[in-house]
Amino acid sequence: MVVTPPAGGVELSAVSPNWVTTRLDFLSNWARSNSLWPMPFGTACCAIEFMATAASRFDLARFGMERMSYSPRQADVLICAGRLPFKLAPVIRRIWDQMPQPKWSISMGACASTGGIFDNYAMVQGIDTIIPVDVYVPGCPPRPEGLVYGIMLLQKKIKGESFTDPDLRQEHLLDDVGMFLPPERVDELSEPFGNSIHQTRSG
Amino acid sequence: MTGVSPSVGALTAEFGSAILRTVVSCGDSIVYVMRERAHDVLAWLKNTPGQEFDYLTDITAVDYRDPERPLEVVYQLRSLGRKADLRVKIALDGSAPLDVDSVYDLWKGADWLEREVYDMFGVTFVGHPDLRRILMWETYGEGYPLRKDFPLRGHFSRAEQVRQALAANPEAQYSLEELSLAQAMHDLPADMTERLRRGERGLVP
Amino acid sequence: MLQAYIPLLLVVAFVVVNAVIMLGLSHWLSSSRPTGVKLQPYESGMPVLGDARERFSVKFYLVAMLFIIFDIEVVFLFPWAVAFNQLPAQSGLLLVAMLIFLAVLTAGFIYAWKRGALEWS
Repeated sequence: MVVTPPAGGVELSAVSPNWVTTRLDFLSNWARSNSLWPMPFGTACCAIEFMATAASRFDLARFGMERMSYSPRQADVLICAGRLPFKLAPVIRRIWDQMPQPKWSISMGACASTGGIFDNYAMVQGIDTIIPVDVYVPGCPPRPEGLVYGIMLLQKKIKGESFTDPDLRQEHLLDDVGMFLPPERVDELSEPFGNSIHQTRSG
Repeated sequence: MTGVSPSVGALTAEFGSAILRTVVSCGDSIVYVMRERAHDVLAWLKNTPGQEFDYLTDITAVDYRDPERPLEVVYQLRSLGRKADLRVKIALDGSAPLDVDSVYDLWKGADWLEREVYDMFGVTFVGHPDLRRILMWETYGEGYPLRKDFPLRGHFSRAEQVRQALAANPEAQYSLEELSLAQAMHDLPADMTERLRRGERGLVP
Repeated sequence: MLQAYIPLLLVVAFVVVNAVIMLGLSHWLSSSRPTGVKLQPYESGMPVLGDARERFSVKFYLVAMLFIIFDIEVVFLFPWAVAFNQLPAQSGLLLVAMLIFLAVLTAGFIYAWKRGALEWS
C-alpha cells in the first residue's frame, strides 16, 4: 500500500483544529454525507436488491443518492453489489483508482465482503483484498433496510471526519508487486470459515 | 430398446465399428463414437438428408469421479426441422493426448463452446481458429478447473491468485480478428501490436 | 438615465461574488490526489486502447461551410429589407442590387449542387 501526497502543495491537514475548522468540517461533512452519489458496481444478485433499495418503497432519494453515477469520475461511493470474479479484479481496482477524492466504498453482501458461498478458484474472497472498504453490509442478499443501515453508518463515519486529519483522503495504491495488501494478510482474510472448511475437492 | 432414436440405427449401418455403443438415458439417445471418426460421424449427421442435425445445442465434457472412467466430450445435437435430439460422446482415455477434431467447420457455434471445454478441461480442438481461454483469463496458470483432480480453491494460494488476477490485462481478451474487425489495429500502440502478433496475450508490461 | 443600470450592476456583482465563494470554498476544502492511473481516460476499468482522436469524414466540414455562407446571405437580407422600407424612392435600384447579390450566390449554390456537395452519403 502506497499513499500519495496532495497535488498543488496545499496541505490542509497542516492546520491545527480550531473553531473555524470544526465549522467548516461540519459544513463539508454534512454536504458530502447527504449527497453521496453512488457508483453501483453491481455484478450479481445484490444488484437487484440495490435496485429495490433505490426504488420507491425503500427510496435512496431521501439520502440524496438517487443519482447513480456509472462513471467513476462523478461518483462518491463505490457500492460493490455482488460477487467479484478474479477476472473482474483489475477492473474494479482501476475503477476505484479513477474515482476522485473524496471517495468511500461499501461492500454489499456476503460475496463482496468475504467471497460468500463461492469459496472457489474463480472468486475474490472479499473485495477488501483489492480495494479499501469503509462499510461491510452482510446478507445474501442484504434486505434493503440492511443496505440503508449500512449507508447510514457510512454517513455517520463521514460526519466524524475532519480535514485536519493527515490520514484522511489518502490514495491507497497498489505496491511494487501489484498487490493492495501484503500476501499474508490476503491469505488471512481469505481463510475458509464455517461450512467452507468441510468443502474440499481432491487436489 | 424402446425409445431409441432412429438415427442410431442409421449410424451403425453407415459407420459400423466406429459406433462403440449406444445408451438410452431418460428418453435421450446417446451414441459413443471413436475419436478418430468423430468428425466424419458429426458431419454425416449434419449433412445427410433424413438426419439434418443442423443445430449444435451444446458441447461440453464430463470428468467422472471414478478414475477408471475416461473423460468424455459430449455433443448435444438437435434437428430443428425434425424436432429430434441426439447426444454424441467421445471417450478420451489417458493413452493419447486429449485431442479432438474441431467441428467449427460444421457449426460456427462451436467456436466458443469448444473454447469453454478447452478452458475447463484442457481438451485441445484441432482445427479451431482461435483456441484460447474464455472463462478464465488467458494467462491463467493453475490448470483446468473442472477436472476432478483440480482442487476446489485452485492450486495457488489466495494471495498469489489475487496477485495474478491484478496483473492480468483485461483488454487481452480480444482476438486479432476482433480487433481488425473493429479497425482498432492501426490505433494500437506499436509495441502492443507486436506483442499480439507474437501471440503474447494478457501480460501487463 | 444611467441610474436604471444600477440594479443590473448589483446583480452582476452578486453573481460574481456568489460564484467566487462557491468555487473558492470547494477548491479550498477539497482534496486533490492525482495519481497515474486516475489521470488516464475512463474505459470501463480497462487499460486504455488506442487514441481518442479519430479521423472523421470531410462531409461535416462541407455542410458547416455551406451553412455559414448561406446563413450570412440571409443575414444580409435583413438590413437590406429595413433600408428598402425606409427609401421608397430608390426601390427599383435597391431591388436590382439585391437581385444581383442573390444571383451571384445562387450561381454558387447551383455549382455546389451539381458537384454533389449536398449528397450526404
